[in-house]
Amino acid sequence: MSAAIWAITAFLFSAGLAAVVLRRQLLAMLLGVELMIAGVNVALVHYAGRYADAEALAAVAVVIAVAAAEAVVGLSLILKVLRSGRGLDAGDLAELRG
Amino acid sequence: MTLWAVMIAGAVAASFAAAMLLSRSLYVGAVCLLVVLLQTALIFLLRGAPLLGLLQVMIYAGAVMVLVVVTIMASGGTPAAERLADFTVPRWAAAAAVAAVALELVLTLAAARAVPEAAPALAPASGDYASAFGVSLFRSYSLATEAVTLLMFLAGLAVLPEKEAP
Repeated sequence: MSAAIWAITAFLFSAGLAAVVLRRQLLAMLLGVELMIAGVNVALVHYAGRYADAEALAAVAVVIAVAAAEAVVGLSLILKVLRSGRGLDAGDLAELRG
Repeated sequence: MTLWAVMIAGAVAASFAAAMLLSRSLYVGAVCLLVVLLQTALIFLLRGAPLLGLLQVMIYAGAVMVLVVVTIMASGGTPAAERLADFTVPRWAAAAAVAAVALELVLTLAAARAVPEAAPALAPASGDYASAFGVSLFRSYSLATEAVTLLMFLAGLAVLPEKEAP
């Protein structure tokens, strides 16, 4: 079981990381981050069940809530960028205002 | 039985993660991520954490993915949004996905029926474990829980519309 869980976790995390690194669209990068978090949560839940560790489950619940807040803030930032007329491409955001 | 269900859920999740990575359409990526999150919720359920599976479905599939789709819709007019027409699935892939979901359902129901016999493997589903989860969430993780509550409030403020300048 652990080998299967590790394979799932590794694949999901790698796919998410590849989406963050390779894709240029901000939304696709955010979706990649969510994929990485989901992959890590799978391994955490598996080992929490294996060792009957309720604190690990509490940690996963906190991670899910933080990931939801991160997604909300990320999406609102993306909408702000869209309203400013700079498009969805991460390459257009290479300069700071200063 | 549980192992097979987890492996099928993992294979479906991996397939849709690959599809999300390879697809150029944002809509397809969002739908693929939704399937991946539902499959991970099923894995949570099979590994004895039904509450976390429920949270995953409610928060991600119910809330975050709706926000993602609304954001994609708000970005209308961009080349990414115009690729909505790419949202087609080959028939063999759709048939394979339906077969996998049906098999998952059968295996999950069979694993749920086998819980009393396989008590050591699925012991975390017991009431003591669930109560220990609640106790750790509001005792050892109480500060983190309060911080997350504050964070959710601040995240809610972030999406409030700004007052238009006159």
